[in-house]
Amino acid sequence: MLSENRTLWLILCSFSLIASVSAGEVDFVRDIQPIFKAACYSCHGPEKQKGELRMDSRELALKGGSSGVMIKPGNSKDSLLMHRILGLGDEPRMPVKADALTKQQVELIAAWIDQGAKWPESASVAAQLKKHWAYVKPVRPEIPKVQDSAWVRNPIDAFILARLESEKLKPSPEADKTTLIRRLSLDLVGLPPTLQEIDAFLADTSPDAYEKQVERLLSSPQFGERWARPWLDLARYADTNGFNFDNPRQIWKFRDWVIDALNKDMPFDQFTLEQLAGDMLPGATQDQKIATGFHRNTMLNEEGGVDAEEARWETLLDRVHTTATVWMGSTMGCAQCHNHKFDPFRQKEFYQFLAFFDNSDEPLLRMPRPNKEAELKQVVEEIVAVDKQLKENKNDKELKKRFEDLKKKRAELEITTLVLQERANSTPATDFRIKGSYVNKGERVQADTPAFLSPRKADQPANRLGLAKWLIDPDNPLTARVTVNRFWETLFMRGLVETSEDFGTQGTPPTHPELVDYLATEFVAKKWSVKTLLRAIVTSATYRQSSKITREMLQRDPANKLLARAPRYRMEAEMIRDSILAASGQLSLKMFGPPVFPPAPELKGIVTTNKSSISWTVSKGEDRFRRSVYTYWRRTNPFATFVTFDATSREFCTVKRSRSNTPLQALNALNDAGLFDAARALAARMSAECTSMSADARLAYGFRLCTGRHPRSDELQAFSQAFEKELAHFSSDAAAAKSVIKGGTVPLPPKLQEPEFAALTMIANAMLNLDETISRE
Amino acid sequence: MKQQGNAETLKQLTRRHFFAQTGFGIGSIALSALLNGKLLSQSAAAAEIEALNPMAPKPSHYAPKAKRIIYLFMAGGPSQVDMFDPKPKLIEFNGQEIPQELIKGQRFAFIKGTPKLLGSPHKFKQYGQCGAPVSDLMPHTAQIVDDIAFIKTMHTDQFNHGPAQIFMNTGHQIIGRPSMGSWLTYGLGSESNDLPGFVVLLSGEIDPGAGNACWSSGFLPTTYQGVPFRSQGDPVLFVSNPEGVSAETRRRSLDLIRTINQKHLATTGDPEIATRIAAYEMAYRMQKSVPELAELANEPEHIHKLYGTEPGKVSFANNCLLARRLVERGCRFVQLYHRGWDHHGESPAKDLMTSLPRLCRETDQACAALVKDLKQRGLLEDTLVIWGGEFGRTPMNEERGGSKFLGRDHHPKAFTMWLAGGGVKGGVTVGKTDELGYNPAVDPVHVHDLHATVLHLMGLDHEKLTFKFQGRDYRLTDVHGHLVKKLYA
Repeated sequence: MLSENRTLWLILCSFSLIASVSAGEVDFVRDIQPIFKAACYSCHGPEKQKGELRMDSRELALKGGSSGVMIKPGNSKDSLLMHRILGLGDEPRMPVKADALTKQQVELIAAWIDQGAKWPESASVAAQLKKHWAYVKPVRPEIPKVQDSAWVRNPIDAFILARLESEKLKPSPEADKTTLIRRLSLDLVGLPPTLQEIDAFLADTSPDAYEKQVERLLSSPQFGERWARPWLDLARYADTNGFNFDNPRQIWKFRDWVIDALNKDMPFDQFTLEQLAGDMLPGATQDQKIATGFHRNTMLNEEGGVDAEEARWETLLDRVHTTATVWMGSTMGCAQCHNHKFDPFRQKEFYQFLAFFDNSDEPLLRMPRPNKEAELKQVVEEIVAVDKQLKENKNDKELKKRFEDLKKKRAELEITTLVLQERANSTPATDFRIKGSYVNKGERVQADTPAFLSPRKADQPANRLGLAKWLIDPDNPLTARVTVNRFWETLFMRGLVETSEDFGTQGTPPTHPELVDYLATEFVAKKWSVKTLLRAIVTSATYRQSSKITREMLQRDPANKLLARAPRYRMEAEMIRDSILAASGQLSLKMFGPPVFPPAPELKGIVTTNKSSISWTVSKGEDRFRRSVYTYWRRTNPFATFVTFDATSREFCTVKRSRSNTPLQALNALNDAGLFDAARALAARMSAECTSMSADARLAYGFRLCTGRHPRSDELQAFSQAFEKELAHFSSDAAAAKSVIKGGTVPLPPKLQEPEFAALTMIANAMLNLDETISRE
Repeated sequence: MKQQGNAETLKQLTRRHFFAQTGFGIGSIALSALLNGKLLSQSAAAAEIEALNPMAPKPSHYAPKAKRIIYLFMAGGPSQVDMFDPKPKLIEFNGQEIPQELIKGQRFAFIKGTPKLLGSPHKFKQYGQCGAPVSDLMPHTAQIVDDIAFIKTMHTDQFNHGPAQIFMNTGHQIIGRPSMGSWLTYGLGSESNDLPGFVVLLSGEIDPGAGNACWSSGFLPTTYQGVPFRSQGDPVLFVSNPEGVSAETRRRSLDLIRTINQKHLATTGDPEIATRIAAYEMAYRMQKSVPELAELANEPEHIHKLYGTEPGKVSFANNCLLARRLVERGCRFVQLYHRGWDHHGESPAKDLMTSLPRLCRETDQACAALVKDLKQRGLLEDTLVIWGGEFGRTPMNEERGGSKFLGRDHHPKAFTMWLAGGGVKGGVTVGKTDELGYNPAVDPVHVHDLHATVLHLMGLDHEKLTFKFQGRDYRLTDVHGHLVKKLYA
């Protein structure tokens, strides 16, 4: 590679030589501009300015782009333009998507530069760089006019309908009430509605019946648990350290903080402030310190031979990547080794951004367990005393043992959580790393935000708190847009900007750009209230459409980008488990506290990590039936059902989970011990809660618990026939019946014989496996 | 030719049918195929279902030499200088300090100060037509040298187990990128419709390592992650029915699920429901095929003799035989991990005299048997077998804490791997290390080069197999990788 470079270099030098000797006076308009026009303008002209470079304007061409100055008049050898058209160095040869320039063209350009790059004003357009849409502060757009104004419930609908009308499409009719209440309940609290809730809604004929349900669900304590899920994916929250040791860590207070903040509708700007810099707020409260656990969710490598500095460096890189992804929808990590190839992040700015995080200590925050304050205080005092004695008698065995016992006792009395703490008396700065290698240090850089975005204001100092304030400043063009888009994505399966993790020039442009800006400006205007945002979305006619797919829709808009229908999709992993437990009646709504261990397959015969010291002892009592957000998250081996249904490992920040549809999911839902036990519980519930003793009534009741609706007669007939077959089978095979109903947590219901219970369990197992049961429609 | 034309017409017809119909259309095609009990790949409706199936076979970039891979991953770092790369100079200078200029500025995992050279305590002989040297520790591998190609000059960027294993599997040292098996199933799908396309089989002791990050799908959809078969209980998680649920009971409940799902498909028109119906049917087939697959006792006695297998035992040999059964059934990528090669010499349980020979005994016969068995079945020509660890071991004695047991530290700079079948030329040796076995002297082969070459043999251009993530197109080989043409050309 080196020698190849050298050869090209010689060619380049000789070109200049030849050109300057033989070409005579080069005329820009005659000789050069046609080359630029043919080879450069399509990417660096009036339409696009890739790499912030524009080659049709004298001023801008001479100024250069994100890679630096392109043309050095009088010096073709040092002009980046020559390097690029010759394909020297690591960057791709220009023009990228066309043939290389001819030797003659290259010579002409070299000669032109060597002759002073004369460029008459008359051959230059008075041009400005068009900033990428996402880097310009959003302004509230006009609400578009539509023909079918009767359909519009709120401004969101006007934006959606205007686009549909322009495409000559019509929105779908409103979904039926049962579908609506189930959709709303799954979306807002992550649980299906109870039959009582469905019945109450069906019976409510008042004009604001739907809105009343929206308010009920928004103020439900389960709201925070549901919306914590996507946030905890972003925050890479887990209960272990990751890597091959994957030891346990205690940071569940952070998870509880998120749930609580969402329930309180903490404004998103405050939510941001506390998580990024809660420790630096004046008079920081314990809760605000807990919130800084956001960036303590990074992994920790405890393998022998790990370089501590490198490990810390990886942690800082993760914090930069996560912050840029979550708040800025930006792939800033691309600028670690070189200037960003597509977005205006310069390499130096990457390190300036990283510097914000390179001034924090990482302590443990200790707090007493409820009602253990006094006891803990006493133990801590004793620890201090013994520690003092130990310093004097280092080898005293009894003292050592006493010390260890006291520490154990302290652990029983206190809760700890991981937090950030800004270092006093030092300013955030870090070392530039040449080509991104952490050992290859360059100049010292001070913390700062990227120059091409809104400038930091006077009350936004160059530290973590200033960074947080800058992110939530209404002048910041990204934060509000990126945030509203993610909420939209969670409800519609697809963001208005499909690449919800990348709002840069390589991301996909929004399907409804004005709607993005409307939602973003409204979000800020309504004081960053998440509940207000969600209320607006779920009360729109757009949201309330039916999700049925017609022939025309599949032809015209298979991916449903235009929203002529509501999306229909398989629920996410946690929602599936929670819905099944809700249907079976086993679900515990107990909130908060240490993570729990629902039944999971044994890990015998599949050693997954090196020295993982975590045992999975199934929780007792209601803890095994808690909502999935409280399930112990072991990074190297997360809860099996979650993994099967596309949950992430939480090793890194994840914006979007995939949504696969696989045979392993079928096996999991059919055969997992916990989910099969739910089938027994559902069967027991069918017999216990159904007033009628008829098999059909029980089956219909069970179906309704799973899907929210009454079965049609053909469906009921299928269940009924299947039940009769199973009943006959288990009546003739008492041993099989016994096996099916034993081994779980559900005793034989008083109204049922064993074969009946076994048969009903099998039908319940099938009901819990229906596509409809695990889908949000 | 005519037949093909007909099949093609039919395919287009059905495709047109799909676009002309609602989701119900496709569902009914799918279901008729399923209900008739046909294999999906043989039915006219296959294309429609498989368009929705992420594991459906996909065409390669060009004609492949290999269609499937068995990767024998020797986790821990086998000692190349004691197995395949004899160094008389090490014996000559045994016990002398290594020249400073060789180790200047290098970080070791454990070695401190200036270590001493260690000649191999094991004897080498040359074997086969090709005359490849193999030590006495690997008598069976010695018998197949004419069928395999050695790379003596493998080198990697990482010197710790976790990062090096992840690097060897994903081309990057930090968790988060897809593994080779995930890239391959993403690129090519699987030819089995009742078994996972990417299977992981584990044996050996617990060793430091990266665990399941080695077979992670990274940022690719999780469908493509490796499915570890369990050596106890169900080979595949959840493949057994709950107690008391017979195959007939399960079939009836699947019929019920299908009936209701089919009705719902008609109401909603969502093609995803058709995919789910197909997934449940495949799950049912897996319930039969997985236990049948894992039933090694059905193999004839001469095969057990060949491999050294004992049905019911957890062993590398059993896993080798299982691997052959998997590729026979269309599995795309089988990766075996045998752990325990980390011979630092801190005790006899971790030294070159007791433990290394034991590890060789645990693996040697089965590795050779696998190659022979594939060959006698005509499978070797399009099955690529890869053997190797995450790095090699130093030509120097580690002497940790003054230990008297012989051992070697991690060595990323030059180590041996071998490949067989799948277009690889037998009897070839690529590269040569220097006289002390410390650095490559001729033809170094980086991990990225190996990856590029493996993809090439599978008919994939490593620069074209990409996935867009966080704003850029990622590859297994990142921005590197050169084909090692000497292996196959």
